[in-house]
Amino acid sequence: MSEYVIKTNGLTKSYRGRNAVSDLNLEIKKGEIYGFLGPNGAGKTTTIRMLLGLIRPTKGTVQILGKNLKSDKINILRRVGSLVEYPSYYGHLTAVENLEAIRRILDVPKSRIDEVLEIVSLTKESKRAVKGYSLGMKQRLGIASALLGSPELLILDEPTNGLDPSGIHEIRELIKQMPREHGITVLVSSHLLGEVEQMAGTVGIIRDGRMVFQDTISNLRQKAAGGIDIRVSEAESALWLAKDAGITGQAQQNVLHVEGLDDKQVASLVKRLVDNGHLIYRVEEKNKSLEDIFMEVIGEVKSL
Amino acid sequence: MIGRALSADFLKIRGKGIWFLIFIAPIGLVAMQALNFGLRYEFMVARANGNLWMSIIKNIFLFVPMALFMGSTLVSSMLAGVEHQLSSWKQLLALPISRTTVFISKFLVCVFLLAISCLVLSLGALLLGLCLGISTPVPWAELLRLGFFPFLGSLPVLALQLYLSLTFKNQALPVTLGLAMAICSLFTGQLADLMPLNWPSLAFAAPNYIVYLSAGVVLGLLILAVALVHFNRKDVN
Repeated sequence: MSEYVIKTNGLTKSYRGRNAVSDLNLEIKKGEIYGFLGPNGAGKTTTIRMLLGLIRPTKGTVQILGKNLKSDKINILRRVGSLVEYPSYYGHLTAVENLEAIRRILDVPKSRIDEVLEIVSLTKESKRAVKGYSLGMKQRLGIASALLGSPELLILDEPTNGLDPSGIHEIRELIKQMPREHGITVLVSSHLLGEVEQMAGTVGIIRDGRMVFQDTISNLRQKAAGGIDIRVSEAESALWLAKDAGITGQAQQNVLHVEGLDDKQVASLVKRLVDNGHLIYRVEEKNKSLEDIFMEVIGEVKSL
Repeated sequence: MIGRALSADFLKIRGKGIWFLIFIAPIGLVAMQALNFGLRYEFMVARANGNLWMSIIKNIFLFVPMALFMGSTLVSSMLAGVEHQLSSWKQLLALPISRTTVFISKFLVCVFLLAISCLVLSLGALLLGLCLGISTPVPWAELLRLGFFPFLGSLPVLALQLYLSLTFKNQALPVTLGLAMAICSLFTGQLADLMPLNWPSLAFAAPNYIVYLSAGVVLGLLILAVALVHFNRKDVN
């Protein structure tokens, strides 16, 4: 058994010679929440469909729970729960009947239906036809279906797509409790970093079918470490004073921007400016938001 | 495994009107003849040469092949529609079940539903005969042949229709083709007996009916096999 729950090797899918996913090496450790990020059309869904055996890779291999997907598909799928894009359901049936249709194939005890409905808090609505559900409820039903077989791995493709803020919050809390309370490893894809950073421990960022970043979220945060903005009356001359003290920075309009200073250096710089008759209006810490980094990594800034 | 898939499939077609179709079609065919015999009873008796049972059976039989084509088309399409409607394929096929099982299960559901239709047809014909007060003994074998032999002859069409319905999300193509076949089947009787469209009627009416019966079953299974290979390989979007 490898320590990875999902490990892909050179995973590639091409449609008519164009690579939708190329040479992807996903590595997802047991018990973590892995955020799979990328703009729309980057190949997230294609990758996830390959992980679930819905489409065949053009090249490369998929290892899930230590087994090869190609040769052990049914056994792997028994231990995996999934929700791919918008939820699939049979609108004319009730939530219980929908789950029953899946339960009959999974062959798990009937009591699981009540358990998963409880987890996603749909117990009260379970006797209504699903077509009358709100999108958030349908999405929760989708997660309930994914949980029905007591999976060890949960694969959720854009589970919060189209939900309102409270729906997003609910789903996020639901996902966060999976590793904690049920020991389930979760792969969750999204095109919004802000959404994933609140739950994921590791992120993989994909762009044009290629993995451009795969590391822990804290390492991604480190990239975001920014500098200090000091709003002063005379930015240009303030910059010269800073340079005299061996501090490099940039001056823009009324703002002096410096990077990589510790608290002491900031304090002495401020003192130096004040001593030289500068008026200081504001001293602000300027972190690049993760969103900025995300944009940098996926290179959207350039193409816009 | 196949049993579990079947029970899930039967659950999914609840409330979809499929069961209604299954019962109303044969009842409709029988009702048509009830009207025919009811309105001109003397004339029909005179034409029947003393064998009123066979007269009923043959009159109903005229419409059976076409009804089977339409039935196969509609049942396949409705069954596939349940999965297509909200793209449930991705959920269904990501479950621990082989695609072969999924496909065979759908096929068996179709066969089962249509077989019920056929049985209702046989029973309906029986009921009509009894209501008309025919005194000659009930031709049980003929009644059952009426229900099931044309059905076996139509298996190639069922296999093809199910394959197309499951493959294409847009049901316009399979339904159009199916209805076109149903209508064409009225006029292909003069053409070669090799035409599969003629097999449902030949499987009942031809002297060597057993040939067409088996040909129907064999070609049906052959189409099913080809469909299975494709269904197993295709990408699910």
